[in-house]
Amino acid sequence: MAKILIPTPLRQFAGKNDTVEVTGSTVGEALAALTALHPELKKHLYNDAGQLRSFVNVYLDDEDIRYLNKEATSVEPNSTISIVPSIAGGSSNPPATALTTDELRRYDRHLIMPEVGMEGQLKLKNASIALIGTGGLGSPSALYLAAAGIGRIGLVDFDVVDTSNLQRQIIHGTKDVGRKKLESARDKMHDINPHQQIDLYEEALTSENAMHIFKDYDIIVDGTDNFPTRYLVNDACVLSGKPNVYGSIFRFDGQATVFATENGPCYRCLYPEPPPPGLVPSCAEGGVLGILPGVIGVIQATETVKLILGIGDPLIGRLMLYDALTMRFRELKIRKSPDCPICGPNRTIHQLIDYHQFCGVPQQAVTNTNEIEPQEVKAKLDRGDKFVLVDVREPHEVQIAKIPSAVLIPLGDVPKRLNELDPEAEIVVHCKGGVRSAKAQGIMREAGFKNVLNMKGGILAWSDKVDPTVPKY
Amino acid sequence: MIEIEKQAWDVMVRHAEATYPRECCGVMLGSIDGDNKKVTEAMAVENVYTGGQEDRYEIRPSDLLEADRAARKQGLDVIGIFHSHPDCAAYFSKTDLENSCPWYSFVVLSVEKGKFDHVNSFLPNADQTAAPQEELKF
Repeated sequence: MAKILIPTPLRQFAGKNDTVEVTGSTVGEALAALTALHPELKKHLYNDAGQLRSFVNVYLDDEDIRYLNKEATSVEPNSTISIVPSIAGGSSNPPATALTTDELRRYDRHLIMPEVGMEGQLKLKNASIALIGTGGLGSPSALYLAAAGIGRIGLVDFDVVDTSNLQRQIIHGTKDVGRKKLESARDKMHDINPHQQIDLYEEALTSENAMHIFKDYDIIVDGTDNFPTRYLVNDACVLSGKPNVYGSIFRFDGQATVFATENGPCYRCLYPEPPPPGLVPSCAEGGVLGILPGVIGVIQATETVKLILGIGDPLIGRLMLYDALTMRFRELKIRKSPDCPICGPNRTIHQLIDYHQFCGVPQQAVTNTNEIEPQEVKAKLDRGDKFVLVDVREPHEVQIAKIPSAVLIPLGDVPKRLNELDPEAEIVVHCKGGVRSAKAQGIMREAGFKNVLNMKGGILAWSDKVDPTVPKY
Repeated sequence: MIEIEKQAWDVMVRHAEATYPRECCGVMLGSIDGDNKKVTEAMAVENVYTGGQEDRYEIRPSDLLEADRAARKQGLDVIGIFHSHPDCAAYFSKTDLENSCPWYSFVVLSVEKGKFDHVNSFLPNADQTAAPQEELKF
């Protein structure tokens, strides 16, 4: 009789025994006797073809039978047979060398083009890209890159879907309002194409995490909407040697290019310094045609796929300008700057810096005595305090949402209409989110107004904290 | 559900951090009651993968056999396998899945810059095609 030691998880299929005694002159016979005694064990040890499963190792005493006579290894009466799984793994994913039947069907229109073909589709499957932002630009890029069969897509975003996003951020739907953008985007992408790994990074991209996140991806697609993050994405791409597929949008105009390839220019070659804070309005302040990011995001997706496939002329050294109103594309040449502080020969930047400081954007954590909370403004109104509430937004915004007692003086008109206000009076200024009103506050103070407060968070915060019937836009 | 007791967990984290930036591996011993597993002891074993160990591990079968013997001696069971993902999320990769075994829980520790970051446990199926996550408790 030989002893077979049963591994813990299989004992339930072996009458709860940890050891089973069987007769047999070879290992194969002993195992056959075991499965005859406990038929349920069979499917755990053998595959449908009747072979030992790939992860099953069999030891005769201290020897792996693979190095003896395999299943024909002869068994002594007092031998001990052990069943030991082979276990390995690791964080890396081996490159795919074939497509599944569903993938062959799904990618048919790619596969029949010689420029893509099986080789190209496998390149897409084995490629990894990180998408920074799942908003206006990220939405169309993510949808098409998922559909195209990119094997691994990392999404970086910390935002929640808001109704005002839906005019352009087409990866999210009305049912997703209030959900995390990452989860909404992932679900949509999985629905389009289940054959991919989607990694979620629910965090703001920062100097602390950028290099770490980028390390796992071949190409970075920049779908951000502010200067600090744009410089951060660029610098992290240059430092990690990854192409930066860039896009930006404002009102009716869009730009796209590919930065930070080996011999191509980077964002700093084009813009060594950020614009003064507040000079260039964001889409939240200035608006954007909802379709515009569709065009630019799809250009970014196209460039990404071309880079992976190594086909065509990538937008390296060319800044594509798109004007939706005239429906014209123009192209500017951009060159790698010999003076570039991060990709030039005499570079001075060797690691990521503080991009908020670099762009002159104050950190929000600082308490500001020049600000007033919306609730306090409401209390002042309710008490009948003497003060003037000035709305510095545009007239069309007032049509969407307003605080009834506010006087409208659009920011652009503030300098010439200061005479309508009493420099000695208490004034509270507000706009949509607090940026334009801060500028108005500065203008008034420079003109000698003594007591001007900026309503923190603008009418959006008013809607959140005071009156939810005021629409958010 | 798998519960890992503190002394075992400390061994796992120490081993994962000490092995950084390479992957570590080890065996978890304990007891099973139905679907509830309790890990009371963890054993570090050598990563014998012969390529780059930054993103791969392999357990020498004889080490697993040894762990099984040690468990039997103490009246314990082999509950699962743990390994680390240096600078990488604690997910069950394709490589993990293709070299897994459905008999055990697979606990993956993410180690970021040398420090333990987060952990998940997985239960791979027999065909090595899927590994649903398993509830993990301390």
